[in-house]
Amino acid sequence: MKRNLPIAAGAALLALSVSACSGASSPAGPAGSAGTAGASQASSAGFQEQHKGGTLRLQAKSGDGTLDPHINYSNGNWQIFQAMYDGLLAFKKVGGEASYDLVPDLAEAMPQVSPDGRSYTFTLRKGVKFAGGGEVTADDVVASFERIYKVSGPTSGTFYAGIVGAAACVKKPKECTLDKGVVADKAKNTITINLVEPDSEFPLKLALPHAAVLPKDTPDKDQGTKPIGGTGPYTAVSYDPNKELKLVRNPHFTEWSREAQPQGYPDEIVYSYGLTAEAAVTAVQNGQADWVFDPLPADRLSEIGTKYASQAHVNQLSAFWYLPLNTNLAPFDKPEARQALNWAIDRQAVVKMFGGANVAQPACTLLPPGIPGHADFCDFPQPDLAKAKDLVQQSGTAGQEVAVVVSDDEVSKQIGEYVRSTLEQIGYQAKLKVISTNIHFTYIQNDKNKVQASVSQWYADYPAASDFLHVLLSCASFRSGSDSSINISGYCDKDIDARMAEAMTLDRTDKNAANAKWGEIDRDLTKASPIIPLFTPKQVDFVSSRVGNYQFHKQFFMLVSQLWVK
Amino acid sequence: MSGAEPVPAVAAPVRPGAGPWRQAATRILRNRSAMTAGAGLFLIALVCLLAPVYAGSIAHTDPFVSNISGTTVVGGQEVQVLQQSTEGLGLGVTPIGPTGDPGHYLLGADNQGRDVMARLLYGGRNSLLIGVSSALLCCALATVLGVVAGYFGGWIDAVLSRFFDVIWAFPVYLLAICLSVVLLTSGLHLGPVHIDAGSLALPIVIIALIYVPYVARPLRGQVMALRGKEFLHAAVGLGASDLRIMRREVLPNILPTVVVFLPLMTALNMLTESALSFLSVGVQSPDASWGTIINDGLALLYTRPMITIAAGLFVALTAVALNVFGDGVRDALDPNARLRGGA
Amino acid sequence: MIGYILRRFGAAVLVLFAISVLVFLIFFATPGVDPAARIAGKNADPATLEQVRASFGFDQPLPVQYLMMMKHLFVSHDLTSFVNRGTLVIPQIMDAVPVTLSLVVGAAVIWMVLGVAMGTLAGAMRGTLVDPLVMLLGVFGVSLPVYWLGEVVNLVTQKELHDSVFSWVPPLGYVPLSQSPGQWALHLLLPWLTLALLYAGIYARLLRGELIQALNEDYVRTARAKGLSERRILIRHALRCSLIPIVSLFGLDFGALVGGAALLTEVVFGLPGVGKLTYQALQNLDLPVIMGTVLYAAFFVVLANAVVDVLYARLDPRVRRA
Repeated sequence: MKRNLPIAAGAALLALSVSACSGASSPAGPAGSAGTAGASQASSAGFQEQHKGGTLRLQAKSGDGTLDPHINYSNGNWQIFQAMYDGLLAFKKVGGEASYDLVPDLAEAMPQVSPDGRSYTFTLRKGVKFAGGGEVTADDVVASFERIYKVSGPTSGTFYAGIVGAAACVKKPKECTLDKGVVADKAKNTITINLVEPDSEFPLKLALPHAAVLPKDTPDKDQGTKPIGGTGPYTAVSYDPNKELKLVRNPHFTEWSREAQPQGYPDEIVYSYGLTAEAAVTAVQNGQADWVFDPLPADRLSEIGTKYASQAHVNQLSAFWYLPLNTNLAPFDKPEARQALNWAIDRQAVVKMFGGANVAQPACTLLPPGIPGHADFCDFPQPDLAKAKDLVQQSGTAGQEVAVVVSDDEVSKQIGEYVRSTLEQIGYQAKLKVISTNIHFTYIQNDKNKVQASVSQWYADYPAASDFLHVLLSCASFRSGSDSSINISGYCDKDIDARMAEAMTLDRTDKNAANAKWGEIDRDLTKASPIIPLFTPKQVDFVSSRVGNYQFHKQFFMLVSQLWVK
Repeated sequence: MSGAEPVPAVAAPVRPGAGPWRQAATRILRNRSAMTAGAGLFLIALVCLLAPVYAGSIAHTDPFVSNISGTTVVGGQEVQVLQQSTEGLGLGVTPIGPTGDPGHYLLGADNQGRDVMARLLYGGRNSLLIGVSSALLCCALATVLGVVAGYFGGWIDAVLSRFFDVIWAFPVYLLAICLSVVLLTSGLHLGPVHIDAGSLALPIVIIALIYVPYVARPLRGQVMALRGKEFLHAAVGLGASDLRIMRREVLPNILPTVVVFLPLMTALNMLTESALSFLSVGVQSPDASWGTIINDGLALLYTRPMITIAAGLFVALTAVALNVFGDGVRDALDPNARLRGGA
Repeated sequence: MIGYILRRFGAAVLVLFAISVLVFLIFFATPGVDPAARIAGKNADPATLEQVRASFGFDQPLPVQYLMMMKHLFVSHDLTSFVNRGTLVIPQIMDAVPVTLSLVVGAAVIWMVLGVAMGTLAGAMRGTLVDPLVMLLGVFGVSLPVYWLGEVVNLVTQKELHDSVFSWVPPLGYVPLSQSPGQWALHLLLPWLTLALLYAGIYARLLRGELIQALNEDYVRTARAKGLSERRILIRHALRCSLIPIVSLFGLDFGALVGGAALLTEVVFGLPGVGKLTYQALQNLDLPVIMGTVLYAAFFVVLANAVVDVLYARLDPRVRRA
């Protein structure tokens, strides 16, 4: 559940900073979608001593909020946290398809799951040390799980709400105890996590930074800019969201599992904040920086794709851009009106606004390719304005006023203007409202603001159909009057809800059957059109000429610690 | 400018038989640079007013409809208006550049495939409209407040002066951005006044408010200076009401200064409008202004710099003409008025 | 006089107070700004949201929140950002001040030299072709949108001609004076010129007007009658008197610019000064930083206003009673 802020475009001088989860982008896919550059075969070859050392220089417009891994929810920091923290499990730190595989990290092996699916038992790895020097113990694990609630972590009431005792912890964080939910057996060096209900996605959630294991004496309060020493190969020495984040090697790190947490190549990683994307691209071209976090400005793409093609990496993201339509407000309370827009939108045209056919792929479905449950159907393949106009007439909403609310980054503005123009063509009186990127995402969620249509995007938190369909369109995700109501459409169909619940249950026993079911749900939702999928974006990473061993992780994007600068 | 500066009243050699306004008009007509600037302004306004003619009969485009997949003809060949890069990795899409052919994208297309020249003309109408209306509104408000503060003095003056101070010390762009964020999302609802979010009236009101102290403070000083004058004492002695004195005695005396402010405020307000659009808080799409076109063009600065440069030149030329014309008006009416622009 | 200064000071405090309340109210009137929702993330549980809101103190009544904010800002000096928790506001501003000062002082030197030279030249050469030409130049300075000029300068120096004429132009950004005076000046040269062009135009126009007026004054006629040379009259008499309004205007402009009024120039040239900090805070709707920067800016504007008023009052006792 996060989403990325702006994207390609130039202006929007603004900072990516806020929005809890904004973020980054991600790069390269598997064995090279479109990209290039000479790196990247090295992953399986083991550590290559000759490339060790040097300082990696990253650039971003601004820091992305707190450095506390239990709280920060931005793609940008999640990417960096991969080199700083570990949980019991991890996504395999390699490029390509295998990066969605779970591997044991601080646990010695994958957990033993009880027959009823409610309890997971992990054996803790021995000898792993925090950057502060202390060894990771079962107490640290228990304290870390309690800390998720004590700091009111953003996902404490969702991802981790199923742990026994979590419900009370979410309501009263200060008195939180998980003595029945997360149980340590010091003699056997095991941790048992008990769930209220079985949750087939629970292991995936354990591999996210919000479940990172931190020293037990970490204060139960957002640590903000104060670095917390973790178990990864790097540790932060200083962080100022307006200046820089500096990572150095964790002196106590020794590699325990190459696929869970490989040792890094650069001696130092310096993340500088302040330059606009334009200036940062220039700096990379001139060899003054090694990588740009922010979306590349649209007017620099063609230059990067030609003159600097060997330094560019293009990879498919597990994300999509879409138009949420408010199903509780005229005119989009009428399914025909929503379908009309679905027929009218020319996705090839929208793709052009994002940077063209090689940077984005038109989307027919809500689930992006690569997410389990994605099915290849396309019910709104080509724009059909005549049909759209008919549907508008049928719905009886012709001539009504519609305002499209978009954020002020260049791509959103362009798409919004195109949608406005299209709405006019099919018979509405349409207006565009552009508001600051940093309030847009909360503004459109709150139904009090009466937003009829907007432009938004969604990035997978972990590879699961429910992270798209259930999060974005279930009745539970709609909260009237709240800024945190991610079901922006306010769509609620009891039947669909029931089918999603079935699919999630089925997922425990039969993944294929569950995926097939998700595909059907996706198709029916697309037909109902509470949200209109636009395209699946690709990540374009632009690195300096000295950088080698570029690898794109599907969940956490470019593997920063694995880059060579020597 | 400090509110304490006394502004001298009209200083013009009195020619018997001609009223001060007629004298001023004569002086402007004889001022060659002012007249050249005035003619230039007239020309710019005329061209902008003819925007529909240009779009309809010459360019044959609708500059408010997206034309993402459209094609046009350059040198006899049909080409895409928005061209996908095909070299190398094929990243990026670039709109067609200046063609030099008024029938087919004279100055090229913008990100939406719309004719830049046609949008510049339509945008000019909005820029001029905002500049002129906000200058009128600002000067009207400032005159009322300045006269009231200066005439009554005492606590009324103290309250109004602090009000000016607050607006004045609240940095211009912050004030505009703050107001815009609120107003652009919800519109303005003040008693019977309802301005819809996205309406052109919003930037007009915002810009007018920002500069009220700028005009009101010197006017207040001038009115205070008048208070000591005999003709006012005489009017009071005759038992005239405050309202009547303000209207019949005070207002005519400060009107020349107000008129001097008008063209200069128009220029300043147009520049402010473009700066606000740069910060994304000005005119709302699909309407355009020179400021929003500059801003749109900035996203294409590396590939199609002409969009931003052309729109900026339009703003600059109009502002130059307004300033030169304004100087002429000042020389004719009130040579000692002190005015300055903002950053 | 003391009474006047005290009253002026009281009014200034009142103005700052009103501005802080205004900022505070506007923030809370804006929909969608709740930093709790933004920090609590996507799809946060309502209970979590409540906890985060409470941790910001948003569960308190507005006046209490206002007082707490003022206490953190002025008493304990530990006001922290809503968006980047843990980042103190005051050190952020302090870090930005040298950048803004570097920009403003450099630009001020350039524009005063240019403005006075152009104004004097035009005033002295009235009636010749030089006057309208110089003044037209000044009008152009006043009429160019400053951010547009900056962007065009960047386009030319960073891209179009970067490989030839402007290969010496460094990338955008700021280098501290203490680190390398040469680089400091090089990085600031174009921002200085861009900002100075606007003000040089304003000052030249103003000075020319003052000079022309002064040259018609009695004391100049007296000097002429005494047979002094025109140049001597111009420089020793007319210019000296004409500079008084220029200097007071300079005080006001300088105060506003130090306060962050060079926002657009800083943003366009990537200078991490007070203006850019303000701009970022506004874009982030980060109330504590907005409050800090706006009060900082207002302080300098009010201070400059007050100083200029007090100086005027010293020169002209009638003002004190006004």
